[in-house]
Amino acid sequence: MWSYPAFLVSGLPWTLSVTAGAFAIGALIGLPVMLAEESTFAPLRLIARTYVNLVRAVPPIVWLFIVYFGVGSDLLRLTPFGAAVIGLGLISSAHLAEIYRGGMISVGKGQREAASALNLGPVYGFIDVMAPQAVRVALPPSAGYAIGLLKDSAISSAIGVPELTERANEAAQATLTGLPVYVALAAIYILMSVPVAWLARAVDTRLRAKVAR
Amino acid sequence: MSELVEEWTSFLPDLLQGLDISVEVTLLSLAIGIPCGLVLAVLVSSSSRLAKGAGLLIVEFGRGAPALVLLQLVYFGLPTTGLLLSSFVSAIAALAWNTAAYTSEIIRAGLDAVPFGQREAATAIGLNPLDALRFVLVPQGLRMAIPALVGFSIQIFQATSLCFTIALPELLSRSYGIGSQTFHYFSVLLLAGLIYAAICIPASILMKRLEHAIGHYAT
Amino acid sequence: MSDHADSAPSTAAGGPRPIRHTNAAPLIRLEGVSKHYGDLVAVDGVDLSVHPGQVLAVIGPSGSGKSTLLRCINYLERPESGRITVGDIRLDAGTPPSRAELSVLRRRVGMVFQSFNLFPHLTVLQNVSLAQRRVLGRNREDAERRSADLLATVGLADKAHQYPSRCSGGQQQRIAIARALALEPSVMLFDEPTSSLDPELGLEVLTVMRDLAKAGMTMIIVTHEMHFAEDVSNEVVVMANGRIVEHGPSRELMRNPKQERTRRFLSAVLNR
Repeated sequence: MWSYPAFLVSGLPWTLSVTAGAFAIGALIGLPVMLAEESTFAPLRLIARTYVNLVRAVPPIVWLFIVYFGVGSDLLRLTPFGAAVIGLGLISSAHLAEIYRGGMISVGKGQREAASALNLGPVYGFIDVMAPQAVRVALPPSAGYAIGLLKDSAISSAIGVPELTERANEAAQATLTGLPVYVALAAIYILMSVPVAWLARAVDTRLRAKVAR
Repeated sequence: MSELVEEWTSFLPDLLQGLDISVEVTLLSLAIGIPCGLVLAVLVSSSSRLAKGAGLLIVEFGRGAPALVLLQLVYFGLPTTGLLLSSFVSAIAALAWNTAAYTSEIIRAGLDAVPFGQREAATAIGLNPLDALRFVLVPQGLRMAIPALVGFSIQIFQATSLCFTIALPELLSRSYGIGSQTFHYFSVLLLAGLIYAAICIPASILMKRLEHAIGHYAT
Repeated sequence: MSDHADSAPSTAAGGPRPIRHTNAAPLIRLEGVSKHYGDLVAVDGVDLSVHPGQVLAVIGPSGSGKSTLLRCINYLERPESGRITVGDIRLDAGTPPSRAELSVLRRRVGMVFQSFNLFPHLTVLQNVSLAQRRVLGRNREDAERRSADLLATVGLADKAHQYPSRCSGGQQQRIAIARALALEPSVMLFDEPTSSLDPELGLEVLTVMRDLAKAGMTMIIVTHEMHFAEDVSNEVVVMANGRIVEHGPSRELMRNPKQERTRRFLSAVLNR
């Protein structure tokens, strides 16, 4: 008969691409968003904070629909993959901005003041003092978010991206054996998140060893 | 602009009906899931190998699988074994499982945050382990877990939007339905988004206030 | 922050009572008790007997094993070797004790902690009543009546319906003493009861302990309060490096220690 495991796994590259693409966009855009949130220029701060709060208050699938069916069919022509990466990317930028903010806040005012007292100036103060420490704090939650994003990528099945979940839906309909297909699907996601969590913990311990606090 | 407002006004009744169902599913999933989460927390912390193993299996599956997959597993998967559940019941079953898995970790963290001296005092006055949990540790642990539980409830409310894929007539389904009739997808989806935001943003503010309040409570 | 409006406990004159034992069997007996954490030996083969009515102070430098020894008596720490006898309960380090034995042990032995450890989510009255209801099986009225009496004994009857966070440190510790007394123990253990308190607040607690001693309670007190140790206890045990270095009647030992180690400790502590 027609083996569904191979069919299922054919969705894996799509799942990984959506996740990687969205995370990359989020990680990059998240940085300026965070800086805007912490800026001394009030209107910029307001816009950035509104952006973050609004994006996080609407469910991801709704954003994907807005991007694909709303924007994507009238204003721009977006493929499901494109819409998924952009939609999840924007959502990631909001969450990662908050994670970066947490990192910066935990480093504390004292460090910033020490940096200015040494006349390092805002740019070097950021690059040499604040950012390295903030990165160490922000790394574990960012890794956690990446794992969450991997699971959220399943949502892109709803707009037709041929990733794991979409493949499972097709396979279940075609073979009429629902339960094993879905259990296998769940198992794949669970198995994928374990090595990422393990890797994150390993990197975290190595970084911790360098910082004597 | 006034066309938009008119349009939105015409969409609202339908969307609010969908919102009704979203809220119902949320509340029922929490009402079932959080107590189960407490049970799982106790199981996972137990010293019995069997209890711990069973608990961990349920938690890791309920947490490691995307909520969407759990929904589809229950709604599309179970019928092949003869168990046919309506979309409403499937939604609650899957989301309650998801809730139980995540909240068991939240509650465990809350219990761990209770100062160790409390455990010692309970032992020293002769309370058996179950009574110590019931009267000393869980009341304090749950209090510490409240902000995180509120945060999680917001996420479950957002997760009800995924029930679109299992034919539940909740808020997103209704929006999509209107969109496919009027072809004004952008407009109706935007309105739906605003409705979600109108609930989630105040809820987040509440959560931050709770975090503050609980902080002061713990001496 | 201390509330002077609460009634002060009674203070009658008098010093430590003389030791009267030999004929009475010891209430607590430790034989060869040892406890270690990995390579670190906290308690090293300690022998100790405590007779009914005796008030024993345990002093010594930090890390000498005083608290660990105390916590072995009610099995908050499990010793690796030796035997602990409390009344008619005998626990050998080799055999893990049953749930029932531990339950009886903790009813006989009351404990007061350095950090009070009151239950913050219960009122003062509920704190004192909880064990009576769950362990002794008393109903609510009886438990609360007894709790009210105990609170009156420590001078805090008016605090019954408040939460611990509204009480000063000295008041919280006195409530902790009432809570421990609620189970009617035969012996009370005190683990540095005043170390977390300002001297002013510590005084209220020491007064309650003095009254308790006068009433004939068997007490073992780990403390840094040297003057209290000399005044209220009738026997002193000095520990260092997990061992008992010296042991004798309080007044004599504190004035004329026989061991060099004791001398060194006392001069460092008293003559600062």
